Amino acid sequence: MISTNDCKVIKIFNLSDDQLVELSKNNALYLSLVEMQAIQCYFKKLKRDPTDVEIETIAQTWSEHCKHKTLTGPVDYTEISPVLSYKNSGVKKDSNSSHITYTTVKKRYDNLLKETIFKATVELNKKWCLSVFNDNAGIIDFDSKNGVAFKVETHNHPSALEPYGGAATGMGGVIRDILGVGLGAKPLANTDVFCFGNPTTKISKIPAGIHHPKRIMSGVVSGVRDYGNRMGIPTVNGAVYFDDGYMANPLVFCGTMGIIPKNKIAKKVVSGDFILVVGGKTGRDGIHGATFSSARLESKSDVNAVQIGNPIIEKKVLDAMLKARDLNLYRGVTDCGAGGLSSAIGELGEKTGAIVYLDKVPLKYDGLHPWEIWVSEAQERMVFAVPPENKEKIIEIFKKEDVEAVVVGKFTNDEKLTIMYNDNVVVNIDMSFLHNGVPRPIRCAVYKIREEKVQKPIKMGSSEILKVLKASLSDLNVCSREWIIRQYDHEVQGQTIVKPLHGNGIEVSGPGDAAIIFPYTVVKGTKKGIVLANGLNPQYGKVNTYKMAASAIEESLRNAVSVGADIEKISILDNFCWGNPNNPEILGSLVRAAKACYDMSKAFGVPFISGKDSLHNEYSMKGKKYSIPPVLMISAMGIIKNVENTVTMPLKAEGNKIFVLGVTRNELGGSVFTKIKNIKNGIIPDVYPKESKIIMKKIYHAISKKLIESCHDCCEGGIAVAISEMAFAANKGVKIDIDVIKTEKVDLLTAVEILFSESNGRFVVEVKPDNQAEFIEIFKGSIFSEVGYVMDEKRVIFESKKNGIYVQEKPEVLLNFWRSTLTGG
Amino acid sequence: MFRIEVFMKKCFKNPKGSQVLSDISWLGIKNIAKIEYCPLYLIDGDVKIEDVEKIASELLSDKVTEFCTVSRCSDLNSINVNSSVPSLSSSVSIIEIWYKKGVTDTVAESIVKAVKDLGITKDVKVKAGHKYCLYGTISRAILDTIVTKLLANTLVQEYEIK
Repeated sequence: MISTNDCKVIKIFNLSDDQLVELSKNNALYLSLVEMQAIQCYFKKLKRDPTDVEIETIAQTWSEHCKHKTLTGPVDYTEISPVLSYKNSGVKKDSNSSHITYTTVKKRYDNLLKETIFKATVELNKKWCLSVFNDNAGIIDFDSKNGVAFKVETHNHPSALEPYGGAATGMGGVIRDILGVGLGAKPLANTDVFCFGNPTTKISKIPAGIHHPKRIMSGVVSGVRDYGNRMGIPTVNGAVYFDDGYMANPLVFCGTMGIIPKNKIAKKVVSGDFILVVGGKTGRDGIHGATFSSARLESKSDVNAVQIGNPIIEKKVLDAMLKARDLNLYRGVTDCGAGGLSSAIGELGEKTGAIVYLDKVPLKYDGLHPWEIWVSEAQERMVFAVPPENKEKIIEIFKKEDVEAVVVGKFTNDEKLTIMYNDNVVVNIDMSFLHNGVPRPIRCAVYKIREEKVQKPIKMGSSEILKVLKASLSDLNVCSREWIIRQYDHEVQGQTIVKPLHGNGIEVSGPGDAAIIFPYTVVKGTKKGIVLANGLNPQYGKVNTYKMAASAIEESLRNAVSVGADIEKISILDNFCWGNPNNPEILGSLVRAAKACYDMSKAFGVPFISGKDSLHNEYSMKGKKYSIPPVLMISAMGIIKNVENTVTMPLKAEGNKIFVLGVTRNELGGSVFTKIKNIKNGIIPDVYPKESKIIMKKIYHAISKKLIESCHDCCEGGIAVAISEMAFAANKGVKIDIDVIKTEKVDLLTAVEILFSESNGRFVVEVKPDNQAEFIEIFKGSIFSEVGYVMDEKRVIFESKKNGIYVQEKPEVLLNFWRSTLTGG
Repeated sequence: MFRIEVFMKKCFKNPKGSQVLSDISWLGIKNIAKIEYCPLYLIDGDVKIEDVEKIASELLSDKVTEFCTVSRCSDLNSINVNSSVPSLSSSVSIIEIWYKKGVTDTVAESIVKAVKDLGITKDVKVKAGHKYCLYGTISRAILDTIVTKLLANTLVQEYEIK
């Protein structure tokens, strides 16, 4: 191969290690020395130097974003745990007199993902899982003819640089994942979860070079809104978490769920099939987006890494491709996401080989180098494998929708990737090297389990408790997200039967636990529904990533179960957003979370069906590097047999009884309460799957028998917040007896601790007096208690006669505290 | 090349201008009395001024609440912006923001398609931009802060203060 004006040959034969590293750095390849050496070695075997297109192709395919090198690579893990031994054995002492020793456990993972998350799915072996971890999204069974696909992606770095464009293309990208799963699913709903810095931070405190969190939040929300709304897909479920650890590196999770006929789940590319590129034209947008995800955010980032989305084009692609799908005009499809054509064609042609004529790719403007065309992440493009006989027909269908569709090459049988540009060969490498040649260095991971201490008993008077309740309701991580939710169209397509906000009117609303889509327009005659929920709590991860992961999983399940999902038919998705995995302690915290994923998935019997990791969420400020607080965001998708058997969270009628299901433990660690009161100690909530799963099963049973009027999950802010939300959402009064709430040991918790502890495994439910006996019969054997009733008088009352506590407030006052924090603008 | 500017009629509020004014006060900048926002478009191609006037009045503006001006220009920077701003005084600062070359301009892409739908068959190139008129005496440094912290993302957009 010879250098031309368009394509350069890179001389790497005689480069030293330092020069290889420099080459990687200068060209923004983000490849390690070992990886550069592997490339050098490969081309030495070929007895020639690579072209810039070849180097870029390998860098993209081997990028963290596309290859998930950390999660699928070997890890040497060391876990150090404290062992408490008391000086005077047999006598319980306070923590000051204890002496701590540590035990060390080592384990080698050859493939962390396969030995934790994926292993649980394999062992659970649920027959209703139709496609897991091997396509653009996970697919589970919906009915005899259809499956439902769900995928959640992250778009963190692009959103940090250009919040609107970054978030919009994040949404556009995950929608294309659903279009590109199997032979294409029809998107039914979107989800969105964000982590931002505190939006009330003074502008003078924001370091130079980063956007203010308020600007990031406003841009991100607008981006998600505009893309989802213009595509005609409802945005139905989400969450926002605020922590200053996300000031310079916000997190943006976008999800899409879609429905797919079961006979369209398998894709098969055949040698001789044409490679058809459909949708937007190619420009310099998003060049190095894939390799960029292997990098930390620097104050000076690559302008080309920014992408701008155009939902109108994607909507036209969607409409046309579903027509072509139903006419069986293509055998394979995937979306152009990170890595652009390089990734899409490389993946589709992995087993066959492919030849591509880059000069045939439609361009936005002249002057692009071949490597730029090949790795550009210009949006709204899909790649199809089309049998030659269907070429004219499929192009005609796209033309009718005014969508550009161009054949750029074909799939071969030589298992090589060949790229031509103006009659010159610019790439000629083996698919096996491209996909399997990446070195697998062993990474070190260390996790030291921190000792958690119970806080000193917390006692307060009634007025102080009320003050804390109001502060909890208006806390950034509890307060209403109405400003965001109301910008989204959550009704379009007319199938959203449980929506994000609940209440008796626009002025009275409470936070729903999960959304339900009733896909009656696409599945005629169905009674089934699809539940979407999520769970995350990064605060717990600052102390214990195992408990954070376990809590996120349980929270997502509780949310789904609260609206009526069957715990036996829930699948989950993982999204890891972590700091730099080259730091052993950070990787250790990730291993520990992955371990929790395995344990919880097995214990609850809920399989992971898809996931994504975004690592290297690290940023530099004044020469110092910072990693984000790690996050495991869990999305849950459940199937409900009959959408008539669903419940929402507002209280329904005066006279009904209130029950708390589950045990309240002294678990205030990482809670909203300890943040408000600035208390350092506290036990991070643990998960007790055996207890919780039975309660979840029983709730499904009780909801199916229409014995539950309303149900709400207890999480941030504890029982006090959960019950207040149920009351003000309905503008009804409620009286609660704190003394009868079940705790792990009698009199071990103070009234304050009972009200604000964030123990997992708890639900608040409302039951009609007529159904009380049957309800209690179902829950016999589980820990629960009747704690109060819905009152005629519009007051929320928490009383403990034992402690002389009587907290009372009007529901509309509590509502105003909840609604007034986040008003956007 | 033609330049189109779309203004709100005096009897209507300028909602985007008011929104920006409220955001600016959040930045801690107080001495701005009023902000007017107007979208800008550049249309290039072998089209007559009548065609551009049709594009401006039928496609890019709302006849009830807005009015528009069309002027010829040779390139982006050759416009005498002052001439097209109504009631301009010395205490008005004008900020113009455009996408940098190579950044996808989806508004412009949609306009190209819509121009065809209007029945104008000649090929046109379009660029969409933003103009903010800030009323009040404001230093250049403060204007730069307003633009970079609020109005433009300099990674993908370029701006000019006049």
